[in-house]
Parts: sequence; C-alpha cells; structure tokens
Amino acid sequence: MTPMLAPLVGDAPTVTFIGLCKNAGKTTAMCRLIEELSGETLAMTSVGRDGERTDVVTGTEKPEIWARSGTLFATARGMLPLCDTTLRVEGVTDVMTPLGAVGIFRALSDGYIQLAGPSAVNQLGPLSQTFRALGAQRVLIDGAAGRKSLAGAEAGATAVLCVGASVDGGIPFIAAETAHICQLFAAPEAEDPVLHAALDGEVGRYALFSPTGERLPLELEPSGQPAWHALPREHCVLWIGGGITGPLLRTLARRGAPLTVAAPDATHFLCDRGSAETFYRCGGSLMVARRLRIAAVTANPWSAYGKHLDGPALLAALREAVDVPVVDVRQEA
Amino acid sequence: MKLNAQLKEDTGYSWVMARMEPASPFGHALVRTPRWYGPGEEAQLEEELSRVEALRTLLDSGEVALDSITHILSEFHDIRNSLKRPTNAPMDEVELFEVKHFLIHLERLAQVYASIPALEGLEIRPMTESLDLLDPSGRRLPAFSVENAFEPALERVREEKALVEGLLRQTEKKGRDDLMARRSELVRKEDRLELEARKRLTMAILRERDTFLASMEAIGRLDLLLAKARLARRFYCCRPEIVDKPKVVAVDMVHPEVADHLQERGGSFTSVSITLERGATVITGANMGGKSVSMKSLTLNLLLTQTGFFAFAGSFSAPLFDSVSLICTDRQSVEQGLSSFGAEVAALGEVLREEKGKFFYIALDEFARGTNPREGAALARALVEYLGRLNCVALMTTHYDGVSDAARRHYRVAGLGALDTAAIRKDEAPLDRLSRLMDYHLIEAEPGEPCPRDALRVCRLLDLDPELMEIFSKNS
Repeated sequence: MTPMLAPLVGDAPTVTFIGLCKNAGKTTAMCRLIEELSGETLAMTSVGRDGERTDVVTGTEKPEIWARSGTLFATARGMLPLCDTTLRVEGVTDVMTPLGAVGIFRALSDGYIQLAGPSAVNQLGPLSQTFRALGAQRVLIDGAAGRKSLAGAEAGATAVLCVGASVDGGIPFIAAETAHICQLFAAPEAEDPVLHAALDGEVGRYALFSPTGERLPLELEPSGQPAWHALPREHCVLWIGGGITGPLLRTLARRGAPLTVAAPDATHFLCDRGSAETFYRCGGSLMVARRLRIAAVTANPWSAYGKHLDGPALLAALREAVDVPVVDVRQEA
Repeated sequence: MKLNAQLKEDTGYSWVMARMEPASPFGHALVRTPRWYGPGEEAQLEEELSRVEALRTLLDSGEVALDSITHILSEFHDIRNSLKRPTNAPMDEVELFEVKHFLIHLERLAQVYASIPALEGLEIRPMTESLDLLDPSGRRLPAFSVENAFEPALERVREEKALVEGLLRQTEKKGRDDLMARRSELVRKEDRLELEARKRLTMAILRERDTFLASMEAIGRLDLLLAKARLARRFYCCRPEIVDKPKVVAVDMVHPEVADHLQERGGSFTSVSITLERGATVITGANMGGKSVSMKSLTLNLLLTQTGFFAFAGSFSAPLFDSVSLICTDRQSVEQGLSSFGAEVAALGEVLREEKGKFFYIALDEFARGTNPREGAALARALVEYLGRLNCVALMTTHYDGVSDAARRHYRVAGLGALDTAAIRKDEAPLDRLSRLMDYHLIEAEPGEPCPRDALRVCRLLDLDPELMEIFSKNS
C-alpha cells in the first residue's frame, strides 16, 4: 500500500480525526492510517461511540476498525462482546459511559475492535499517558462528528479533517466550510514570549491580557460572564477557556474595537463561518495557546443520504480552497 | 443504637466524619455506618481504642510502612457488585480483571501489614489460592486475559486463528473472503471456549464469596482505624477512659466544628470542663455564653467514644450508654408544622418511651423555652426531678430560675460577670466584641443559685438602639 496519510502526519504523537459532518469518513481515514502505520504500536480510542458496523444515528453502513495484534485501545466495557480480537485487560479507568466504565485493552490477535472512549476532553490526557506507559508509540483518536469533541492538543498533536458529502449545500458550500475550519486551525500562537507564557499557564474560564502579556482587570457580570461593554477600547487579548461560539464572536464584533480572542487550542472555536467573518471584518483576530496542526483534509464524495458528489470535482474544489494537502483515502487506496 | 442523620448533624458528628479520610471504598462504607459499642461491649471498645492508639503511636514515629498501606488501600476498587450474582452468570474479562486486581492488592497489603506490630483482633490474610487461580503463571502482573492455561483447547484454536490472520495480512482482495469466513468460525470457537473458562473461574470465585467479603471488611476496618488515628493526631484528641459508674468527666473539652469557625474569624475556642453524674446536670448562664456549645461538645464526645473514636478533650471518661440523644430546636419538625415546643415534647416523649428502664444519656437544650415562662419553668423543673429518678445521665441548659435546685449538679457560664465597661471598643464589630468580653468557662454553682441577669448587657454589647435600651433598663 502506498503511504498517503502517514507521511503527512509525520512524527505527531497524537492524531485526531475530526469530521466536518457525520459520515465524513473519519473511520475510513483512521483505518487507512492504521494500515499505513502497521509497524508501530498504536493506541486508539474514540470520543463518543464509534467503530460500530452500522452507524447508530443514521443507520448507514460504517467501516469497522481492524486492529493488529499488539494494538492498545480504550473502550467501554459494554463494547467487549463486539470486539473479536483475543484481548487482555490492561486496566480500568474511572471514566464512566452509558456503556459502562472505559477499560484499556490490548489486542492479542488481529481483529475487529469497537471504540467507545471518554466523552470529555480532559479525560483524554490521562488516557494518552496510560497508553504511553503501556508502550504505545502513537495515539489515534476518532473524534465525534461536527467538531463537537475537542481534539485535546498535546504538544505536537495533529489533526486530520475529514470532509464528507453529507453536508447539504453542494461542493462550493463544502469547500467554503472546509476553508473556514482550516482558517480557524491556522490561528497562531502568541509571538510575544510573555503573552505566550501567560496563555500557556492560564486555566481560568476568562482572563484579559495586554498584547505584551500583562494581565488586565476583567469585570465579570453576576452570571460569571465578562461585562462585554466594559472591555477596554485599546487592543487587548481576551482568553476564553471554554467553547467560542458564533453569537459570542458577533457580540464582540459589535463593539467595533480591535480584540484578539485566545483559546487553549483551535478545537475550542465552535463558531460558524458567517460569525467568524463578521468578527475578522471588525478587526478581531484569533489566537491559541497551543497550535494544533491540520495535517491533511480527506474527502469522501459518498453521502449517507444518497446524494453522492462528483469525487474529482470535490477534490479539486477542496484543493482550491485550502492550503493543506487534500487526499481521497478510498480512490488512491 | 443507630445514629440518625439529625443527631449527627446537630452534634457536629457529621462535621467530624467529613474530616475522616479513608482511602478505600471499604473504609468509606464503614465511615458511613459507624459501629456502636453499647454496655457489655467495653472490652471490644477498649480493643478498638488500643488499635487506634497503636496506629497513632506508629504515625508519630513516622513509620513508613503506613504510607505504603495507605497507598495500597487507595488502589482498591469496590467489587462487591461483581460478587452479587447467580453462580451461572459468568463474569466478563473486566470483572475478572477487577477480582485479580483486588487479590493482588490484598496480597501486597497483607505483606506490608505483617511488617508493622500486629494490631490485636485484626488480621489481613492473602487469598493465595484464588489469586493463583486467576494468575496461573504466578507473575502477579496486573493485566488479565483468558489464558490458554484456563482451557486447554484454547491453545489450538488460537494458534490456528493466528495462522489465518497471518495469511490475511499477506492476502490482498482475492481469497480474503474465504480466509475471513474461516476466521469467523475460529472466533466463534474461541468465544465459546473463553465463555466456558470464564464460567469455571466465576464459580470458583463465588465459592469463596464469604472469604472475599470478610477480607473487604478487614480492609475497611484497617482503613477506618488509620483514618481514626490520623484524625486523633490532627486534632490532638485523647483516648477516652471507659468507666463502669454513671459518671462523665470531661476536662478541657472542645467542639472542633465551632473551634474551626472561630479560628477562621481570628478567635479561639475556650475549652470547657464539666462533670456529670446520674440524674440531671443543669447549665445556666448568659445568652451567647456558650451553654449549647458546651452541651453539644459533651454529646459529640460521647458519640465519638461509643463509636470507637478518640475524644476532643484533654481527658475524657464516660460509661457506655444504651443510647445518646440530644433534644434541641429541630428545624425539620418545625417546618413540618409542629411548634418548637411541640417538637421538643414529641422528641422527649419518644426518648422516654424507648429508653425508660435502660441506661441512657439525654441532653436538652433550653427545654420548654417555647411556651409561657411560668409553665415552662415548672415543666423544666419537673423534668429535672423526674430524670433524677431514672437510670440516666442528663444535661440540660436553661434560663429558668428554680430548675437547678432539683438538679444533681449545677454549672453556670462565667459570662460577663467581671465586665469592665472601659474595655468596650467602639470600632469593634458587635459579635467580635461580645466574644472577646465573654468568659465561656463553666463554673460549678450551688443548686438553686439564680440565673445570671446578663440580657441587658448582651443587648448593649450588640449595639441595640439606645432609645430602646433606655426603656429596657428602666423596666428591668
């Protein structure tokens, strides 16, 4: 098999597969990378239930994950009857899911596995550490659709953005959405070293800094939200530890004063394209404490709802719209 | 006696329990349901207290094995639910992993426990046979899998499956389907054999269910003892002395919860000493003079003593009672529509019905204060006289005159007796001022000595409106 994704992700210790929509081909892309990395000890988990033969939400056929002997994986206990490798229980985490506690297993033979890992991003860090302690060389995370899951940016972490035809609106719309996501992920880390260090160490929900990293007072409403109208008029950097939504960016855009919104990493940008554009137009910019690189965009012209797209046209449109490499994991397989 | 939530809350027992830090789920369960040592169980209680004392001494000497024990305790998971099953329901791999995990840690705990001086009456034994069953190689690694050793036929099936999977790795599209079909067949065989093995292991584990439960109990007890010893160290508690006469002697007793609040506000707790004998002891004194706190401290220490804890006092001696109760304004009953008087009387009635004929302790906070003063005083006095005839030790606080003369003993709060008005600082918050000037010590008084008249001074210290104070002082 010609390596296609492996050269793009390089040495990244963690690769997260993010979907632009449901049925974006995340699992297909992940399976492809698993095959390409067959010489490595891989560890894998998912955020939200994944890997099942039929998609629980849409009822469409989904690819299963075929793991090689030696692979480590984290999944809920209730998924065990659906895994057909010989397996060894390496540990049990205290992460609970509707399908039982998440256990850590090692495949002792090749075979199909089913992933249903933790749903909260802060549970991924400790899990990755456990994987590494058990000998994993690389961690693959099957993220949930619609970027609802946060990829969790470890140093050097990489994402693969999976784009499918299951988005309404045709090729131009899909290309524009993809470009929007890539732009969000291109948000830079702070250039000023003091500001960089301040953002790196920030754990609060909100904080305010000057562009040179000096902490500024931030007035909060009784609800705990910052008093937006009381933000300074001169350029400052607003740290938001949670999700950054479209309505929030529009609120900030309406102030008409320059502002940089900083997030832990790009997966926190949950804003739609229109809001982001309005925000940029009004002098706003985005920044991250830790950059999460999109290594590749994968395209899946096949729709779960029957409206398949023209594969070459989709690839061409995506290549036109974004700077990162675009691949079709099925066609070139 | 079972400690109810209200009593735990009112006395501050819950506050103390919240400061307990057991490390294992089994220790946590025991903290929630403390064992009560009643009359006749003095020897067992003394043994328990000796164990706490021994551990405290070891903690004082910096015994490192105790750190290892605490660490191992924190590694236990609660597997009681896995043991509650019919014998024909096999455990899955994760449950078997958890059982093995439990057994490995039990073995480690037993090893470390053997290295400290033995605690009388508490044994931690490894379950070597059960562990060997789940760990046939004896390597004591934490991971678990259904090994070939559990079911001889597994080895052949797995070898064949590995062969097919090896071929699959080398086969591109053509011929894969046949290999996949062959593999599916082998997977089904493997599953069946694994199921048989899991069934056999589960049955073997469940045959030892009682030993498992006894081990968990022992682990929980060790954990609880360590938590008790650490608590006693942290708060400088004393080992209570258990006596066989109806006499409670508390010296330099504190209420840890109140002391903690005071410390947060920059104050300090005045320790109190009191002796109680059969019959009723009455405490009188100024409002805000700490009568109720003294009473709660004593009741708390009795509860702690009878559940095998050290006491929050310089020294503490008491007999074992059949029951310990505290009757104070019960907000819950009042919310349910009873008047505060009605609630008190109902609670008293219940204690008397239940405990008459037994040896009991009862504390009453300003009993009958909610009714008219004449009848209230008469009722309080009648109760003191009546309790004097029963086999009990009672403690009552009151503002009524004519109650203490019927009591066995009478204490009064030192209060504001020696108050120097020059000491009043205007810039001080009224409550801080009051607590600075109030002497919370208990002083033994003559029976019948009238209650101190401190209300006027308390109002003045609390900055009540001067016009009202003027009318008040004219009338009093």
